[in-house]
Amino acid sequence: MNQLLLGALAMAFFVIAMFFVRFFARTADRFFAFLGTAFAIMSINQVVLGILGEDSEYHSWVYLLRLAAFVLILIGIYDKNRR
Amino acid sequence: MVTGVYVLCALTSLACAVQLLRVYRAGRVSLLLWTALCFCGLAANNIIMLLDVVLELDMTVWRKLPALAGVVLLLHGLISDSR
Repeated sequence: MNQLLLGALAMAFFVIAMFFVRFFARTADRFFAFLGTAFAIMSINQVVLGILGEDSEYHSWVYLLRLAAFVLILIGIYDKNRR
Repeated sequence: MVTGVYVLCALTSLACAVQLLRVYRAGRVSLLLWTALCFCGLAANNIIMLLDVVLELDMTVWRKLPALAGVVLLLHGLISDSR
């Protein structure tokens, strides 16, 4: 069940990233680039968690990827508000 | 360090949700609302993850459900908006 959810989340994040990349290609709005990159990172995060497993000693290190994605989004929101 | 990463993930995802809701209230762009709701789900996922680590429960499957709900909402919003 856990692997199923990890796979579903990885795929969903990837599809969302592709949507935002398409929006960026159409509008050239940097905010969509930030969001697309962040969701791509979250997709990679889920894949790595799936490969390593929940009990891996590197589990908390992998969460640094997720943290990077959230920080990227906050930077994108700040950048959008500044413009 | 280990718990700190999970705390930061929870805080940053919560900050993302709050900031996105604020930007939505200012502009009323529906995509921002769907993204904000997604981050509410991700924030819930991170908070449950933190509780899982601190209290040493085993909510491996349950903590992914809010994240899945969030991404499903965002996918729905993205697909609806792209029509």
